[in-house]
Parts: sequence; C-alpha cells; structure tokens
Amino acid sequence: MKLSIRAREERELKGRLGWLGVAVSLGILLLAGRVWYLQIRKGEDYFARSSGNFVKELRVPADRGMIVDRKGRILVDNRPSYDVYLTPAFCQDCDEVIGRLAGQLGLEDEDLIRVVTANEKARGLERFRPVLVQQDLTRDALDVVEARKDLLPGVDVIGAPHRNYRAGEMGAHLLGYLGEISPDEFEKAREEGGGYRPGDYLGKRGIERRFESRLRGIDGLERVVADAKGRKLPELEAMIPQEQRYVPSQPGANVILTIDARLQAAAEEAFDQTAGTAVVMDVNTGYLLAVVSKPGIDPNRLTGRISRAELREIMEDPLEPMLFRATQNHYHPGSVFKVVSQLAALEHGFTHDVFCGGGYTLGRRRWRCHKESGHGHMSPEDAMKVSCDTWFYAAADKLGIDVMAEMSERMGLGKVTGLDLGYEVPGVVPSVAYHDKVTPGGYQKGLALNAVIGQGDSNVTPLQMAMVYATIANGGTVYRPQLVLRVERADGTVVEDFLPEVKNRLGVKPENLAIIRRGLEKTMNEPGGTGYRRRLKEPRMAGKTGTAQVVRIGNVRLRKEQMDYFNRDHAWFAVYAPAEEPEIAVVVLNEHGGHGGSDAQPIAMRIMERYFELMKEDRAAPAHGVDREIAPAAPPASIDAPSGGPELPFLDRAARAAG
Amino acid sequence: MSPLGVPGRRPDLLRRMPWGLLATTLAIAGISVLNLASASRVAHAPVWISQLAWLGVGLGVALVSLSVDYRRLHSVAWPTYGLVMILLVAVHFHGQTVMGAQRWLVLGPIRLQPSELAKLAVVVVLARFYHEEGEKPGGYGLSDLWRPALIIAIPFLLILQQPDLGTASMVAAIGGTMVLASRIRWRALLLVAGSGAIAAVGAWFFVLHDYQKKRLLTFMNPEADMLGSGYHANQSMIAVGSGQWAGKGWAQGTQTQLSFLPEQHTDFVFSVFAEEWGFRGALLLLGLFLLLCLLGLRIAIQARERHGAFLAVGAVAFLFWHVFVNIGMVSGLLPVVGVTLPLMSYGGSSAITVLISIGILANVATRSGRFS
Repeated sequence: MKLSIRAREERELKGRLGWLGVAVSLGILLLAGRVWYLQIRKGEDYFARSSGNFVKELRVPADRGMIVDRKGRILVDNRPSYDVYLTPAFCQDCDEVIGRLAGQLGLEDEDLIRVVTANEKARGLERFRPVLVQQDLTRDALDVVEARKDLLPGVDVIGAPHRNYRAGEMGAHLLGYLGEISPDEFEKAREEGGGYRPGDYLGKRGIERRFESRLRGIDGLERVVADAKGRKLPELEAMIPQEQRYVPSQPGANVILTIDARLQAAAEEAFDQTAGTAVVMDVNTGYLLAVVSKPGIDPNRLTGRISRAELREIMEDPLEPMLFRATQNHYHPGSVFKVVSQLAALEHGFTHDVFCGGGYTLGRRRWRCHKESGHGHMSPEDAMKVSCDTWFYAAADKLGIDVMAEMSERMGLGKVTGLDLGYEVPGVVPSVAYHDKVTPGGYQKGLALNAVIGQGDSNVTPLQMAMVYATIANGGTVYRPQLVLRVERADGTVVEDFLPEVKNRLGVKPENLAIIRRGLEKTMNEPGGTGYRRRLKEPRMAGKTGTAQVVRIGNVRLRKEQMDYFNRDHAWFAVYAPAEEPEIAVVVLNEHGGHGGSDAQPIAMRIMERYFELMKEDRAAPAHGVDREIAPAAPPASIDAPSGGPELPFLDRAARAAG
Repeated sequence: MSPLGVPGRRPDLLRRMPWGLLATTLAIAGISVLNLASASRVAHAPVWISQLAWLGVGLGVALVSLSVDYRRLHSVAWPTYGLVMILLVAVHFHGQTVMGAQRWLVLGPIRLQPSELAKLAVVVVLARFYHEEGEKPGGYGLSDLWRPALIIAIPFLLILQQPDLGTASMVAAIGGTMVLASRIRWRALLLVAGSGAIAAVGAWFFVLHDYQKKRLLTFMNPEADMLGSGYHANQSMIAVGSGQWAGKGWAQGTQTQLSFLPEQHTDFVFSVFAEEWGFRGALLLLGLFLLLCLLGLRIAIQARERHGAFLAVGAVAFLFWHVFVNIGMVSGLLPVVGVTLPLMSYGGSSAITVLISIGILANVATRSGRFS
C-alpha cells in the first residue's frame, strides 16, 4: 500500500516535471520567436538603423557667394579663419584648461560663463560634443593656442571661412551683415526646407539678407564611420560605399551690384557730416551707383565676435548707426519738394507770375516766405531759382492739396520704392483724405500751404527724392531704384539679370517739364540762384536746395548753432548732371545739418566732381569702363584683406577659384 | 548517518556520467569564449582568456565535486543557507558600492557577490525541505506554503534592498519554480498569484527606487528616451535585429565593434552573438540552452529520490530563468534588470555558480537509477 502511494507520488512528480519541460520549451520558443521577429521580420529596419548609428554625416559647408561692384571689384568675400572648440570629454581638468584658455584668448566674462556652464552641464555622450569657445581667432591668439597645445588637452582649433567685408564700413548698409540664425528664422527656414541648422549664419540685413538664398550655396556632405562616442574611424571607411562618402558642396552665386566701388568710396569720403545720406542714381536706368548712410557700422564687427555690450552700444546710440537712412527713415523734404508741387501746378494751369511781398495771407494767418523783404514778381522759373515760397503758397491756395498729392504719387512718393532691401518706409503724401483721417478738424486749406513747400505732413525718403530728380532729368520716366545688376554662378553663368524697370511714366506736358528743368538750371547757374555760390562750373548742372524745418519755432529763425542738434533743420540738396543730357542724379540729406546750400550742396558737388573724373578715366581705359562686363585680366584676389582704402581687387577667374 | 541512508559504494562515475549534459555545456562554453573574443576587441582587454580561466576553474570544481555524493548537501543545507543570509546582511553594512548598489563583499583578495550564492542556497534548502515534507495527498494548501515562502522571502528582501531587483526576482523565480514542482492546490496558487500582484503594486510605490521605476517605464516605451535609460535596450535591439539571418560575421558587428552596445561582455553578450551570427546562430544557442534544460529535467525525473529531483529542478530553474530573463531583456521583451546569461556572460561569480548548478545536475545524474 505504502509502496503504491509512493509509486503514485513519483508518477505525479514525473508528470509535473514533464509539464515543467513543456513550460521551459515554450519559454525558449517565445525567446526564439522574439529573436525571429527582430532579426527576420524587422531585420532590414534594424540593419538600416545600425548603419545609421555608425555613419556620421558631416557637413561640408558651401562657400558663400561674393558681393562685387559693377566692375567686378570684390566688396565681400570669405577669408580663412579659425574657431576654438573645447571637447569636455578630452580635457582632463576642464576648469583648469578653460582658465588657461581664457587667459590666452582674453575671453570676455560672457563667453567664459557660457563655456563653463556648457562644460558643467554636459553629461554622458554630450561630453564628446565640442563647445565653441571663441570664433575667429586673432592671428596672435591662434599662434599662442597652437604653440601651447600640449597644455590644452581637448582644445581644437578648427578652420572655418569667415565673411570678409573688404572695405569695412563702406557701403555697410547696402551689403548688410551675417548673424546667427534666430529661433524664428530657423522655424521659418525649416518650413521652407532651407536646410539650416541652429548656429548657422545667415544674412540679417541688406544684400546679404535679400539674396541669402542665392549667396548661400548648397552644403555638401561627408559620411564617415564613427563610434558611439562620435570619434571618427577613418580605417573603417570601407563600410560606406565609395560613392556615398562624399557629396561636394556647391558654392553660392555671386551678386553683382550696380554700385561703383570707386564712386562709393568717394561718396563716403565726401559725406563728412555726422549723419545723413547721399544717393547717386543713374537717371536712365534707376541703378544706384553709390549710396552712403552715416553714421556707418563695420559689418565685420557685427558678423564676427561682437560682445553684447558692444551690440547694446550700437543699438542704443541716439544716432542709430544701424539705420539705412536712404530708405528706412523719412524726412520733410523742404524745398527740394518744390519740383513736384510746381510740376503739379503747371499741369493744372497755374503758370503765371506771383508777386512776393515776403509772405502770403490766407484767412487770418500769414505764411512767410523765407525772404522777409519779398522777392517781387516771380515767374515759375524764378520762383524755383530763388526758392520763393510765396509763389507756391499761391499755387496751393488756388489748387488745393490733392493736385500735389496726385503728382507725388505719379512720381512714386508715398509708396516704398521697391529697392527691396528690407524695412523700407513709404513716406507720407498728405491729401484731403489723409488729413480728414489723421488731422483733428480735418483738411483745411492751410495744410496745403505747408505741404506745397515740403513741410507739414509731407515726408519722403532720400531714395524717393533721388527717384523724383532722376525722373525729371530723364524726361519723365520713373524707374525702380535697383542695387543689383545680376546674380551669377561661380562659373559665370547668369542666374538672375536685373534690367531697368519702368515703374511709371509721368505723362506731363514737355513744356511744363522744361520749365522745371530751366528753373533748376537757373538755380545753379544764374547769380542769385540758391545753388549758385557752391556750384561746380563743369559740367552744367541742374539742382535744388532744401532746408527742412524739424521743429516749428514760431516767428524767430535761429541759426543752427543756437539749437540743439536734434532740433536743427535738415539740409537737402538734389541735383542732376549734365543739365542738357543728364546721366546721374545725386541727392544729399545732411541730417540736422542746417542749410541746404551750405551744408548739403558741397557734398553733392564733391560726388559729382568725382563721378565726372571717373567717367573721363574710364573713357581713357575702356577695359574697365564697360558696364555689365567683368574685367578679363586683373590681379588675383589676395587672401588677406587689403590694408584699407578703396582699392579693391577685381573678381576674376583666380578669385573665383580661390573663393 | 544521514536520513537518506549511507551512500552505497562509489558509483561508477565514468559509466554514469551525463555525457550529453557535459557536451552541451562545453559547446556553450566554446561559443562563449569565441564570442567574448570578438567583444574583447573593443574593450582592448582579452576578457576571453579570463573567461576561459573561469570556465576551466568552474568546470574543475564541478567535476571534482562529483566525487562527493550530493546527498551530503542534505546535512549542510541549513548551515549554508544561514551563512549566505549572514553574508547578505554583512554586505549591507560592509559591502562595496558599485553603480549605486551595495552588492559586493570584499574578503581579502576575493570579491564576492553573496546574492549569487543566495540563489544556490535557496535551491539547496528547498530541496531538503521538499524531501522531508514528502508529497501531501491532495497537494499543499496555503497554510503549508508559509515555510517555503519564508525561505524565499528572506533572501529576496535582503537582495531587493541592496538594491538589486534583477537578482531578487531571480531568487523568487527559482524558488517559485521549485514550489510549483511540488503539488499545490489550485486555490492556493491563485491566492499566491493574487497577493503577488498586490505586492507588486505595493512595491512600485514603497519599495522600488526611482532608477528602477525608470527602467521599468523605459521598458514599456524604449523609444521615448533614446539617449537616456532607453539607450541600452534600443541599442541592444538594434544589434540583435541587424544580425538578420546570417549575421554580420565574427568581429564584424558594427553595434559591438563601434561601442554602441553597452555592457557587451556581461549582460548584453547575447546581442553581440546575435548581431554577428544572425538568427541561425541565435537558434543554435537557444537550442543548446533548451537542450541543457531538458537534459536537466530528465535527470530530475530519473533522480534516485525527491531530494535529487528537487535539486535538479532547482538547477534547471536557475539556468532557465537566467536564460529567459537575460535574452528577454536584451531583445526588448523584459526590462533591463542586470541578469547574466549562463556561461556566455563574462564574469567569475556567474561562471562558477552556473557550473556549480550544472555540477549538481551531473551529481544527481551519476547517482540516479532508483526511479528508472
């Protein structure tokens, strides 16, 4: 009996052990199934992921395109430069290395704190990611770091091209500058599939910004084998198929400006005042030959290492050096506006003389002419020549404000010019509708009397004024102001060609335009004309002074020395030449400079003088004298920036290869 | 002398030697050394030589122990258990802390992981317990389970607070398997399972450390934390999966050779093998492990008495659960808990305990014959 129980017990135990065997087999089968799922079912996916693990894609940055002037002189290119990186995983005592590095590079606190925190925060694999310590080392710092490399474990100096604005401040507002991509820009670029990465540089202003997509080029790609810590393993490169290892970058296109670097340099030099702008336009195309905006900024500073303190200093400067005054601010035009109002008046039949007794009475108020004793009988031409306000008051009284507004709009005022450089303001063209909307009490005749002499609410940008004078000079065609002739690939093929673009044709009577032109000629060529004293004798020119009141100071006129800088009048001068067959128009605005004749005209005259000198030179040496053609033979661009001065190297084959 | 009676004359060791078990063990050991030689290339340390040495020592210990009848374990079971429990307490006070857990006890030149010994101690004591208890007619009820439960719970809790969730659950799984091999009433089984679930929930809130919870959470969704705690599991799955059918070839695994695979000598050694040898290699290895377990169970069935049978079941449970949890974790089926793969993983403690349990199997086998 006992034995049979035992036998049953044993049988049952064996049975349970048998079930255990089944369970064990099922367990192993489950594992096999899982491994089958990973290796066979999803094997290809995981294989691809394992390849993705060790293939590290390194960017081969594309060379950014150059910006050159109309004759191919390089204004902006790239120069080799060196950045310092620290890899926390490779410096044994990082704090000490950072301290040593800070001493040698003269790191600013801001950078120092950034590097120290980056080092402290980096954990695990992150410690293998290099941290940027300083960009664009100076020559001396580079030598020091290279010489003491053994004392700086984990420190790497990496070559990276850096944007080089060869002429410093010259044309800075046109060219713009580069800056690190902002989170907003990054988001936008990603939506557009721009292929930017955080930390990338892109054009922030000017041509750099407007032509970012052209200048940028297409980055190449280098695929290397790297281990889990990101270390390159060149000996294993065979693991990547040959044809996938390297995709070359495509350099960005070059932007050829309408600017003539020599004239630009002359204009920068001619503009010896605190603030303001000078615009030089080809009257027959709308191309800009030079545009100065003062005070200037050096884009090299903005693009490279600039501390927050320096940046703040620039941003808080009351003279606003970042402001491109030709388009980004508007001003009362003062008397330079009279060409617009007189043309409007003539077109509406107001062609007769007016007697100037030193002012004009409308209702109970009297509008004073700038000459208190009066000008006497004024023909339209004479009114222009001596800038008699009374003639214009009379015209405004007769015709109202909308007649002038309509002519302003035909000239392109009140709208952005379409230069397309960003942040352009449209100016203000006051009209009945405008005043009804913004002026308490609505439109009254007196407002027309202010607007007719370029005061009141009349506001223009200097570039718009240049457009107006170019239109008068060329016989009535309004061209869109342009800054770029064309965009070319590095191999010379044209990507984009910017032909002169007609915005509008005035459609005025030729005899009326002739009256305006005669008036402007008399201004500069007859004694008593406001532009006569400081005229240039050769060639004959036609121009107009302007003195725009910034603040109304009642009946007493103060001299400029008696006023605070920011209350002083703006000095304008607008001119085209030669008077008979005009080539260029120059508009100068000397902000808070005083009187147009004394404080703006000399600048314009120096620019004109240089322009005609250059024309003569170009005629003598036609190789450089032909627009829209790149000089065939020129000295190769040197890598080092020129020591300064306007002598710029030419864009040629050698420069293309180097760039 | 012992309740089992005086051992008979020395068995004919050679005749009764379980050659299949030995051959399977040697085959896995060979694969292990070959595989570690590949993984060694990354570590720049020839761990495969050390592994060869440890396996040799372990095998030597196992073979020599064959000359001693396993029934002697009957008398030393409780003292062994007591000693290991003392060591577990000692490690709490004097242990060496490695990666946040106190697991190692340093005794002069020997670094000892008492939690590894605890697995064997539980097997030895439970074998004695079930031998003495014999079979209950109708099966064990709940009231009969408190003693085996206590035997398992003491080391389980001591190891859990080291903290070492992996080893603690291995102790529970091995002990639990042995309890299952005895006859249990269904009701008791359900009750135990239910209270186990409640205990697990309780543990989540009161016992588990944050890093352990994080691991478990990461296991649920490894993609969520690719660079953090999910990194290991992900890289391991990539390694296994990318092996496909044929594998990348010995020393050609990119995950292994380029250090993407963590802990590749120890816990993740199977991923190295699966990456380089592919599904066919993995099947071979799994087959060998299955063979090992089934041979062990046959030894249990053929054991001379319940003591031998339960010892063999314990040894099989030891092997099986290590294989199951380790491969489960490296293939993303289970959370990453730090359990080694028998024979394959590099390490002295692991190699020796595994070979001791295989030695026990061989010992039971050489002295079998009464049942069959």
